[in-house]
Amino acid sequence: MATETVSLQKERTYERFPLARRIEHVVMLLSFTTLGLTGLIQKFALSPVSVFLVNVLGGIENVRNIHHFAAIILMFGTMYHIIVLGYKMYVLRIPLSMLPGFQDAKDALQALLYNIGFAKSRPQMGRFTFEEKAEYWAFVWGTVVMGVTGFLMWNPITSAKFLPGEFIPAAKAAHGGEAVLAVLAIILWHMYGVHIRSFNKAMWTGKMTEQNMLHEHPLELADIKAGIANRRPDDMTIRKRQKIFFPVATVLALGMLAGIYGFINTEKTALTTIPPQEGEQVQIYVPQTATPRPTSTPTTVPSPTLAVTPSAETTPGTPSAVISWDGSVGPLFKEKCLMCHGASKSGGLNLSTYADAMKGGEAGVVFTAGDSANSLMIVKFESGKHPYAELTADELALIKAWLDAGAVEK
Amino acid sequence: MRRLKMAHAVPLLAGLMLVALVIAIANSDEVRAAPHPSQVTAPARVDNSVCLSCHSKPDFNLTLPNGDNLPLTINQDKFSQSVHGENQMACTDCHTDFTGYPHPALEAKSRRDIATTYYTTCEQCHSEQYNKVLDSVHQRALAGGNKNAAVCTDCHNPHEQTRITDKQTGKILITAKLHIPQTCAKCHSGIYDTYKKSVHGAALTELGNLDVPTCIDCHGVHNIQDPTTVQFRNDTPQLCAKCHANATLMRAYGLSTNILNTYVADFHGTTVTLFEKTSPDQPTNKPVCTDCHGIHDIANVDNPQTGIALRKNLLVKCQRCHPNATDNFPAAWMSHYVASPDKYPLVFYVNLFYKFFIPAVLGGMAVFVVTDFIRRLIERRKGVTH
Repeated sequence: MATETVSLQKERTYERFPLARRIEHVVMLLSFTTLGLTGLIQKFALSPVSVFLVNVLGGIENVRNIHHFAAIILMFGTMYHIIVLGYKMYVLRIPLSMLPGFQDAKDALQALLYNIGFAKSRPQMGRFTFEEKAEYWAFVWGTVVMGVTGFLMWNPITSAKFLPGEFIPAAKAAHGGEAVLAVLAIILWHMYGVHIRSFNKAMWTGKMTEQNMLHEHPLELADIKAGIANRRPDDMTIRKRQKIFFPVATVLALGMLAGIYGFINTEKTALTTIPPQEGEQVQIYVPQTATPRPTSTPTTVPSPTLAVTPSAETTPGTPSAVISWDGSVGPLFKEKCLMCHGASKSGGLNLSTYADAMKGGEAGVVFTAGDSANSLMIVKFESGKHPYAELTADELALIKAWLDAGAVEK
Repeated sequence: MRRLKMAHAVPLLAGLMLVALVIAIANSDEVRAAPHPSQVTAPARVDNSVCLSCHSKPDFNLTLPNGDNLPLTINQDKFSQSVHGENQMACTDCHTDFTGYPHPALEAKSRRDIATTYYTTCEQCHSEQYNKVLDSVHQRALAGGNKNAAVCTDCHNPHEQTRITDKQTGKILITAKLHIPQTCAKCHSGIYDTYKKSVHGAALTELGNLDVPTCIDCHGVHNIQDPTTVQFRNDTPQLCAKCHANATLMRAYGLSTNILNTYVADFHGTTVTLFEKTSPDQPTNKPVCTDCHGIHDIANVDNPQTGIALRKNLLVKCQRCHPNATDNFPAAWMSHYVASPDKYPLVFYVNLFYKFFIPAVLGGMAVFVVTDFIRRLIERRKGVTH
């Protein structure tokens, strides 16, 4: 037994995947991984991991561009796969070893029964095991679903011309659901079947040892040994078939290329203007009044003011209409001036009493009896040098009349 | 052990106090004036009656060099009812350069000159608000030479401003809230006219409804920011969600609170939200709330003329960015609905399908994987190679 193992290590290997298939696998692997990563962070966009990754990848628009690019690669990969498959089916007429059949169901059942101890041996399988077929067809199904729903999302305006609008969010739901399924299935099924159970390097080396062939694909090995596998048709037949296949494949390829082109370029979904600026256009500064100062227009508060006009001042019935300090001028000063020119004697002037008023202030006498024009007070007011204490024209006239009449006390 | 506990207790206590302090500061939203320096140091204040002996005169005006009329009359009743009057503020607390008579010469050429130079006096007591204003769009405009930009006194007449916030709770008073749009309207009357007709503005101005936002609920107060920035735009969904995702507030109006999560779940909302999180200052052409609902003219979605609950009205909005969109297209946006058998059933059933399909497929795979794994473990233990 031991010697057999040693000898088997040097033993012959069988080609399982030619280089083209291996390259195809790498391309699909990269595009699938990129799609899964950039897709899931869009589906679960607000999780902290997604936000982090979106940041790392340069923002959501960039993530979408990468996703679209990977999708285009996947489309080209699919196109290539279909043409190669066509060649093998029509020109080489190799058996359709990937097609699932009733035998696969039986194999799966037997594998399960064996695992739980109800079958004596594992199923004997051919070129592709039921596990591999399940994965292949899951990938086909996923690609179709993702392609169709992806088209609807990539071209929503065109799609909505032919389909109800609801198909677009539905496509998004299916795209997301299928993505979760595909990624989890790859992790569970592919990881276990190809990497954990036994590390199957055939997709990288292209070869499989006889020992492994015996365990994993015994029926295929038997066919190889019997010389009935990979029987090529003779060159004549191949050339004859190629003459038909190549033109057909060219048309097919052009058709698919046009499809991919349309997929990508059918529509320019949104305006690229950033941001749409047709919204509310407002004039910012539109004052309600010329000077929109909040200070309310001073309302004239009716307050008891002295009747200070000379005519009103002279009490009807009083024979002599003499303007006196006691009669009107004193009360006028009291009302208007005493706050400063009272006890506080602003500028040395005190207008509290007739006597004090006549004394004047620091600038000298302010009231010159009989000569209003030369009275300092009148001069100041008329020249506007006492702006904050305004007297109305009537009030000023009253004082002038009082001065000119001799500035009497009583 | 006891010592150890004490050693832990001190920083813990300090930490708790710090937290309490932070909470206290965070909650002190209330506009409360700091004590005026003069109330502390108490220099000789001129009694208000001194000033009012002149400034209570009716029709007391001064003509400024540019021809502006500067009213100098103080309405005593209004002042005494104002928050400054209530707090026994002296005229000279603000008019610090006026210590007696004669007053210093007035250098201002116009009323605007006076306003734009005098408002700094407010800082003495209201430094918190003042400093916020320094960071506002108004202040930037003023610094840029726009003399029309609002300063403190344009919104708050210092001689008549009554209390704005409740003394105890610090919350804005009803009367003050109702008055806000009119305050802003002094300079932004065009916007005010639009707002008045909006679903929010009409509710406030016609019905006195206080649930609706006034200007400051969206634009802030004092540190009002430029609403035309990218950042403001990207923040819009969160801004609207402040009220529209609030179940208590929305219940009274029968409005859905799913508006934010349905928006964020959609292509547009996902994009904007990610922009907001990853590059808030980068513009995106994906719509925010206001692009479909309007800004100051936000209307009821059921309005037959403009309401975007009607597909034909929504299509107009769609076509702003998607000019080729046709009748079916608006249904591609789920109108803030969560898919259900009634609304967007196809989406609902697709989701339902995957809800069962994913676990079914993975479960099936798991049965094979797990049994195979266990079987191989047993075989290995028994020494069987395969």
